[in-house]
Amino acid sequence: MIQSIKIYGDQALLVNFEQRIDPAINAAVIALQNAIEQAQIDGVTFQIPAYCSLTVGYDPSKIEFAVLSEVVRQIGAGLVERASACPVTKALAFDPSCGGKSKDLLTGRTKVSRNGFGTSCSTSRLLRIPVCYEPPYALDLEDLSTQKGISQEDIINLHTSQTFKVYMLGFLPGFVFMGKLPNALQCNRKVTPRLRVPPSSVGIAGLQTGIYPTESPGGWQIIGRTPLTIFDPKKEQPFYFRAGDEVQFYAISKEEFLAYA
Amino acid sequence: MPKTTLHFQKAGLQTTIQDQGRIGYQSYGVPTSGAMDKKAAQLANELVGNSPENPVIEITLLGPKIQFLGACQIAITGADLSPRINQQIAALYKTIEVKSGDVLKFGGVKKGCRAYLAVGGKWQIPPWLDSFSALPYSGEAATPKSIIKKGMHLEVEINRTITTKHISISEQPQYEQPLRIRVLPGPEFEEFSPYTIAYFFSRGYKITSDSNRMGYRLDANLIDFKPNREVISSGIIPGTIQITSAGQPVILMADAQTVGGYYRIANVVKADLDKLAQLKPGDEVWFSLVRLEEVI
Repeated sequence: MIQSIKIYGDQALLVNFEQRIDPAINAAVIALQNAIEQAQIDGVTFQIPAYCSLTVGYDPSKIEFAVLSEVVRQIGAGLVERASACPVTKALAFDPSCGGKSKDLLTGRTKVSRNGFGTSCSTSRLLRIPVCYEPPYALDLEDLSTQKGISQEDIINLHTSQTFKVYMLGFLPGFVFMGKLPNALQCNRKVTPRLRVPPSSVGIAGLQTGIYPTESPGGWQIIGRTPLTIFDPKKEQPFYFRAGDEVQFYAISKEEFLAYA
Repeated sequence: MPKTTLHFQKAGLQTTIQDQGRIGYQSYGVPTSGAMDKKAAQLANELVGNSPENPVIEITLLGPKIQFLGACQIAITGADLSPRINQQIAALYKTIEVKSGDVLKFGGVKKGCRAYLAVGGKWQIPPWLDSFSALPYSGEAATPKSIIKKGMHLEVEINRTITTKHISISEQPQYEQPLRIRVLPGPEFEEFSPYTIAYFFSRGYKITSDSNRMGYRLDANLIDFKPNREVISSGIIPGTIQITSAGQPVILMADAQTVGGYYRIANVVKADLDKLAQLKPGDEVWFSLVRLEEVI
């Protein structure tokens, strides 16, 4: 349920949902983002989904705030209606004709999806992600185990025994914010952030888990590394993840990590 | 087709290729980047017959030294960083005919912070995600040719020449000091106390040296700032003014991260970001609150 739609500068608006980090609230954000993308509203320039808000950029020479916010409000109301009428349908699942043609809500003209990666398909994906939780990759696992008074094995089990939702990408191109971790894994950021976290490091902080796409400074507790490259600028689609994905981590050995194709 | 090659004999302090920005990938954590002074970049392109979104070279304070291997038309706009071509003072806001072998260099900062160099023609560099703008952090892998380093070469295909144009002083962007820019209330504006709001608008701020394309930190801590909750990370757009937990205002600029979790007191009107781009550490800025209806 949309709580408010505010101006955000003179070329964007901000849609706020209930301000809480929660997979169900985030699912509503992603559903709204997808519905707006599918509606192909003339004048919408970009969207930024976050935990419980959606920023929608617009070109004021093509559409004005009052009109766009009303369109967004109606789209949001329509989603709530559809979700409640059909309890089996996940908020994310739309018609199969996603990624193709759709109607411009304002002009009625048929438009082709113009998302840069050629797809605005809104069905959720489940991705299985291999992680090596052993040295030399699990930089903070031993310290974390001591700190929390639970075994390293328990930490790994907690991290691999349920799926997590990708809430959003941000902080760096391709950095994924996922959750919600079980309470037993909750931890603080490192008191002294690392100057250099190795790329593909898997970390946890608060009730989030995430993966560093490139080497960068960072304060998350690093519990492992994935052999996957989650941000490859040389690829046509450089990003492995997108907001709304469902992620299942699984443990691999150091040998498997090194042998990963 | 005739061409020119720019040979960067010196790179300068922070010299990058920028255009009007990389829009549409913020949901993947990719900042919009682009020229900090988009108006100056557009005008530079106009003066060489390029389309407004064509890439330009953004030059910050200390400029590069460039030898042109091949005749071409160029234009320099934005800050006055004392450009000279072969020791002759080069005019700003004017089409300049460059001969093969000419050397362009820059000197002292007379006015502003960022200058823009346009070269007429088709730039032979690859775009990344629909833009030629340098990607900050991880830029080497994604946009190596947009980050100017000593010794680099940039090739431009000359597809036409135009008759000399110039933009008169009255039509050139003016960079006043102190600068007053327009802002709209930010998403958390109503959570600030009246004292804090009044204080925010009652004084000028100097840009600290801890400022760059990602953001400008201002030299003050707002009074009576008592945050009572954590702002859950939310989308960030250039021009957002965040208040850190210490009460320091930070104006987020072109290369800012796309999400953030601090209180947002205000947003700079987009057109005024160009003027902000010409402020350097030590320069002063004031804020005026406007309503959306007042922004044309």
